Amino acid sequence: MSGAAATAAQRRTLDRLADVLIAAGAGKPSASEAGVSGELLDRTLAVVPAWKEPLLVILDEATGCDPRRFVRELDADRPEDFAVLSTAVTGAYFLNPQVREMIGYPGQEASPLSLAAVPEYVENGMLERVYERHPGFRR
Amino acid sequence: MLTSRLQRDEPADVVIVGAGASGTVAADALAAAGFRVACLEQGGWTETADYLSAEPEAELSWLGKWNPDHNARRNRADYPTTGEADVRPVMCNAVGGGLVQWAGMWHPLLPSDFQVRTLDGVGDDWPISWEELGPFYQRATRDMSVSGLTGDPAFPELDYPNPPVPIGKVGMAAARGMDRMGWHWWPGSNAISSQAHRNLQACQRRGACIIGCPENAKANGLLTHWPRALENGARLVAGARVKQIPLDGRGRALGAVYEDQEGTERLQPGEVVIMAANGIGTPRLLLLSASSLFPDGLANSSGLVGRRLMQHPYQTVTVVLEEHLESWRGPWGQNIYSLEFAETRPEHDFVRGSKWNVCPRGGPMFAVFDHLAARRGGGFDQVWGEAFHRASDVFFGRSFSWGIQAEDLPEEHNRVTLDPEAADDSGLAAARIDYRLSDNTRRMLDFNIARALETAEALGAVETVVDDVWPTGIGHNLGTTRMGDDPSSSVVDRWCRAHDVPNLYITDGGVFVTAGSVNPTATIMANTLRVVEHMMENRRGQETS
Repeated sequence: MSGAAATAAQRRTLDRLADVLIAAGAGKPSASEAGVSGELLDRTLAVVPAWKEPLLVILDEATGCDPRRFVRELDADRPEDFAVLSTAVTGAYFLNPQVREMIGYPGQEASPLSLAAVPEYVENGMLERVYERHPGFRR
Repeated sequence: MLTSRLQRDEPADVVIVGAGASGTVAADALAAAGFRVACLEQGGWTETADYLSAEPEAELSWLGKWNPDHNARRNRADYPTTGEADVRPVMCNAVGGGLVQWAGMWHPLLPSDFQVRTLDGVGDDWPISWEELGPFYQRATRDMSVSGLTGDPAFPELDYPNPPVPIGKVGMAAARGMDRMGWHWWPGSNAISSQAHRNLQACQRRGACIIGCPENAKANGLLTHWPRALENGARLVAGARVKQIPLDGRGRALGAVYEDQEGTERLQPGEVVIMAANGIGTPRLLLLSASSLFPDGLANSSGLVGRRLMQHPYQTVTVVLEEHLESWRGPWGQNIYSLEFAETRPEHDFVRGSKWNVCPRGGPMFAVFDHLAARRGGGFDQVWGEAFHRASDVFFGRSFSWGIQAEDLPEEHNRVTLDPEAADDSGLAAARIDYRLSDNTRRMLDFNIARALETAEALGAVETVVDDVWPTGIGHNLGTTRMGDDPSSSVVDRWCRAHDVPNLYITDGGVFVTAGSVNPTATIMANTLRVVEHMMENRRGQETS
């Protein structure tokens, strides 16, 4: 999806709403500090294009509103719209490489497995105990 | 329908409707034996490059193109399902079918699952036994490059061609809990190859199995069966939306009428038709094929087409520990499983049982979902704002989930019908689903959730999260065209041939008499092999159109 996923005004509104959802804390950045309204938003909507239309409607509605009040009312009154906003913001937030590093998430990386080692559950007798105590299958 | 006006494809010996787990096996076996096979699949091909599983967007793709809920995904090949259901079925319409998005959990049914009426006085007995399916389980297990550890005392011996994938920190933690309780557990059996085997590569533990394995380590008909079937001459028509099974004047199936990708209606003639469109799609097509000979739907003299839907209602208990479990690592897949509560016990206030499986817990977005569920009803500030970071600080990487998969009993009011209003892009009626959880199922789930929480306590869990019963199913669409000896109380016979139409077979999960509690794909594939081999051996006596 191109950078035209949202206008500059809509992105500014998203930053204000997103910071209500994800404030800075616990040593981690707020949503706007993580850049959720920029390229990360475009990448998010490219993967879930069904969110684009309802999200932009929400952002247009929220223009000029008090963001704390708007987001709380959305949560209380319009759960489906709130789910679109909150999930899109959350998804974009965790695309940020610094955020991922801070929480210790390497992504769904490849981790070649080794079949050579004897599994711990064999070495410590746990599996043997299953075998010993099982009554056998029902016939 | 006047089939004489339709464009006709090259005639086939066997027309297969659906290229999922069952249709894939049938096409492969028949083509290998030299039969002319035409398989019609409404979905398209999936390329490994289509998967985002190795990208930062992996988790997000679960909510987009790879959303398991077809009603949310809304790909062109998907048809809508409607209705009033406590559990709404899901499916994947594509070459490979549900195997494209499955988790690969691989289990034979238990011997007692075939004798539910005899042993427990509910449901019905199957017309076949475990022993009849046993050799076919073994072959399907090899064909699907399953990884597992032989010797589980909970069912008859099954040899796996590959050693089990490592159960990881997640599996070890869960196994310790079961060990402390003195309950059954076993390393997970998965159609995920732990080493290069046949057409599969070794698992790289990306943990994104359900949104597509980018390593080609997860078994999928696209890799395991279709290359050989196509090489042996099978013809696979992707993007073919089947609309009707037409009959000749004697009530024999003529083949299948379908709409191709250009919107042209065509007839694929065939001497025999195999329906393999899953437990929702097959009854929908049979009902759409009503005629003067079968006014209530094709092969429906019993009135049971579409009835007795079973789905394995599913509920999870997420267990959060202080120790780091790297719980985004795969496979996903099951790290371990338990059949401790899979059988009826006299002390329970329900009959039949549940299978448990431990899965990894995914990346940070799943941690957020757990955080939200844990603070349900606690107010906005308990979840959002600065509290949001609790998701990554408490849940992420430190949790695993017990999936409780309940055996729901066959009940005739749980059913698939045609929606009188909603339709797909081709104007074909949507499948309406009516499904209610029984009291037996609710008691069973409550009991098992309580036991799973006991294991969490035994592990010293810092937090647990109990989900509601999942409102969308897990793709186990079973029982809607049941098998049986009596034509008045079943749709197909023990060889899965329709009682009413001698050249019409059904081989998908619809033929299940009862659901058991374990994942059904091994049984669907083994049973299809059994049926197709019998069909070939008895070809001379086969009535055709």
